[in-house]
Amino acid sequence: MNNNAGPAGTPLLHVDRVTVRFGGLVAVSALDLDVPEGSIVSLIGPNGAGKTTAFNCVSGIYAPSSGSVRFRGKRLERSFTLGTILWALAVGLLTGLLFAAAAVDVDRLWLAVVKRGMITGEPFTMSGAMKRLRGYFRSELAIDQMAGKWRVVSADGSDVLAIKRDLGEATLVRDALQAKVTARRTGPGTVPDATDLNPRAAAAAPLVALPVVKEEVLDRLAAGKSRIRWRGWLGLIAGLLLGSAGTLAVWQRGRRSPHVVARAGISRTFQNIRLFSSMSVLENVLVGLDRTIPGGVFSMLLRTPANRRAEAEARQKAIVALDFVGLSGDANRIAGELPYGDQRRLEIARALATGAKLILLDEPAAGMNPSEAGDLAGLVERIRDRGVTVLLIEHHMNVVMRISDRIAVLDHGTKIAEGTPAEVRRDEKVIEAYLGGEG
Amino acid sequence: MSTNQASRTSAPPAPSTGPWAFLAQRWELVTLAALAIAPLVIPALGGALGGQVTNLFIYCILALALNVMVGYTGLVHLGIASFFGIGAYVLAILTVPMYPFQIGFLAAAVIAVLVTAGTGLALGAPTLRLRGDYLAIVTLGFGEVVKVTLRNLEQITGGMKGLNPVPPPGAGVTVAGIDLGKEFAIDPRWFYYLALLSLAGVVLAMRRLENSRLGRALVAVREDELAAQAMGISATKVKLAAFAMSSAVAGLAGCLYAASLSTTADPNAYDFNRSIMVLCAVILGGLGSIPGTLLGVAILVGFDTVLAPWADSWIQQMNVNPKGLSYLSFSGWRLAIFGVALVLVMRYRPEGLIPSRRLAAELRDGGAGS
Repeated sequence: MNNNAGPAGTPLLHVDRVTVRFGGLVAVSALDLDVPEGSIVSLIGPNGAGKTTAFNCVSGIYAPSSGSVRFRGKRLERSFTLGTILWALAVGLLTGLLFAAAAVDVDRLWLAVVKRGMITGEPFTMSGAMKRLRGYFRSELAIDQMAGKWRVVSADGSDVLAIKRDLGEATLVRDALQAKVTARRTGPGTVPDATDLNPRAAAAAPLVALPVVKEEVLDRLAAGKSRIRWRGWLGLIAGLLLGSAGTLAVWQRGRRSPHVVARAGISRTFQNIRLFSSMSVLENVLVGLDRTIPGGVFSMLLRTPANRRAEAEARQKAIVALDFVGLSGDANRIAGELPYGDQRRLEIARALATGAKLILLDEPAAGMNPSEAGDLAGLVERIRDRGVTVLLIEHHMNVVMRISDRIAVLDHGTKIAEGTPAEVRRDEKVIEAYLGGEG
Repeated sequence: MSTNQASRTSAPPAPSTGPWAFLAQRWELVTLAALAIAPLVIPALGGALGGQVTNLFIYCILALALNVMVGYTGLVHLGIASFFGIGAYVLAILTVPMYPFQIGFLAAAVIAVLVTAGTGLALGAPTLRLRGDYLAIVTLGFGEVVKVTLRNLEQITGGMKGLNPVPPPGAGVTVAGIDLGKEFAIDPRWFYYLALLSLAGVVLAMRRLENSRLGRALVAVREDELAAQAMGISATKVKLAAFAMSSAVAGLAGCLYAASLSTTADPNAYDFNRSIMVLCAVILGGLGSIPGTLLGVAILVGFDTVLAPWADSWIQQMNVNPKGLSYLSFSGWRLAIFGVALVLVMRYRPEGLIPSRRLAAELRDGGAGS
């Protein structure tokens, strides 16, 4: 049985000086552990020795405070790729656009771009809308209609500068006033740019009688262009930074989540059974098989032939998995109704269904009588014979001694011994930890 | 509607074996067939009653949307009405004559559903780490934010006036000499069938969801998030999928609502009350159960929008209440009856009127084994 054990090549799982601290409490201290492929390795020790904490660390529930866990030579975490950066930027851009929309007052933007065209009765064209959009960001004066009269208004519609019966006249007034506003804008302290040069305005100015517009209104209109642009950019940049940083922060925190570890090929059972207790036994295993079932949401909604086939195959596989642990007769029972020992075996079937190469069993024989524990030991050996490596926490010493290739003993978070069952049994420190020192 | 629902309640409790699943499918078909024939047999459905029943169907769709979140995935959502509202407003913006887009109902509905799904994702993504009460507060807040935003974006949404007139589906489309738009406007039965068809489609989709990989993942995350993750299920993605699906279906209900009223109504139509009403219907009928949800809506909303007005007009006809005293009218007692009924159901049937098989097991065992 011990033939295939031993540290030949890279171990399947390599735990390197892992320490886990909870506040001031050290649960696991500098734990080194190698699990060779195809073996059964047991982790034993008195209660509170940190065995389950070590398990949680391997399966990604806790992050180690220091040290590393490597599976097939790789750290189990999502890698930081170009995709991560692009995703963060995309979310940031979306946030930025949202912020910018709020900053430039999307309500008035809508008025200027969509509604004003409708009010003046122009047919809606893309180029017309783009022109009005540019006009809004240049804070240009515009024309709209109310009660049959044409009004010259500021881009956001908040200032009405003139009211005319005739559209042509209104257009001339608009151009003339625009020239005035632009003149103020290009005064001392600002630099004119290409968008400000409006040849029409200069030509039209002398032809019409201009309405009296207060100086401060003209000043405000002149300042409108830089204000709205400044706001828009500020919103965009703030949103971009906030959104990207937030996305990266969330990504970082979920980097070593249990599902990443599970997908890499490590599955586990729990000390306090965590089945989906209201689902049927079969469904529990189907959840374990989740990753192996192909097809997306739409094939599911349309129930394509491929989808039906995949579901049928998964059911078949689930029955086989249940057969392996001896539960195929209970496939349609509710998982929570099963006896305790069967629930533990169902958890094992569910974990195996994920197609894991390493399975962590946390006290699988807890609460079983010696005969049931013996059956369970047989099951664990059969799992190993399928080519699945087993890391085990167990208190039943005859189970541990019978099936383990190697045993590591933890006490107060520290590994005090490691070796074959025979070696561990003779170890002074182990005897001391279990039976107490002699003084 | 209610008679069909009642006959469904009296059916034996569902065992989990294959043949029954087939029969349950058939029950749905029987109900569907009865509802499809009803307008041809009952002339009242061509009048105001038809509109009320259509409204009921729309609420059913909304409740099924909420059921994805609350029933399957176990995420408490108190803002479903906001997605209902977003769907209604997006449809209105894309179709009202006030705006230049004026695309057809179908295209607008597709866009509205996509927009609501996107909004759902945008709400879900930053709130995924919250659970229970905290998520409830976030969704409650989101509902209020949407309502106030709709009210304040006056240029876009028309403020308290809402957007109208939303043209009926098929406006300007003529099929075989029938002007569909005109027909929709004249005869409420067209809307009745449109809503019924949409409801049937949503029920079918939900049933398929339940028996699919994604549906199982939703329930697994509800039951035990950590164990689901240890099985390689990304809880993040599953919850986002729930958010997106729920919002999309609620958006579809919103589209039908706005089109059937031919206005979005004012933003207060999408407030907390509506969210809670739908949540109550889902809980009353049975969390995570499709027939339960439908029955819950039929009882609660049917009581509110069909039975109560009918009883009022009957009392008025009988002339028992000539002074118009509120305690002598049926509507005056509406909320009291509502409350007492909810208390009684929660006391004697906490799992709902037609519980889902899964949830019934959970409550019976008190979650034993976990």
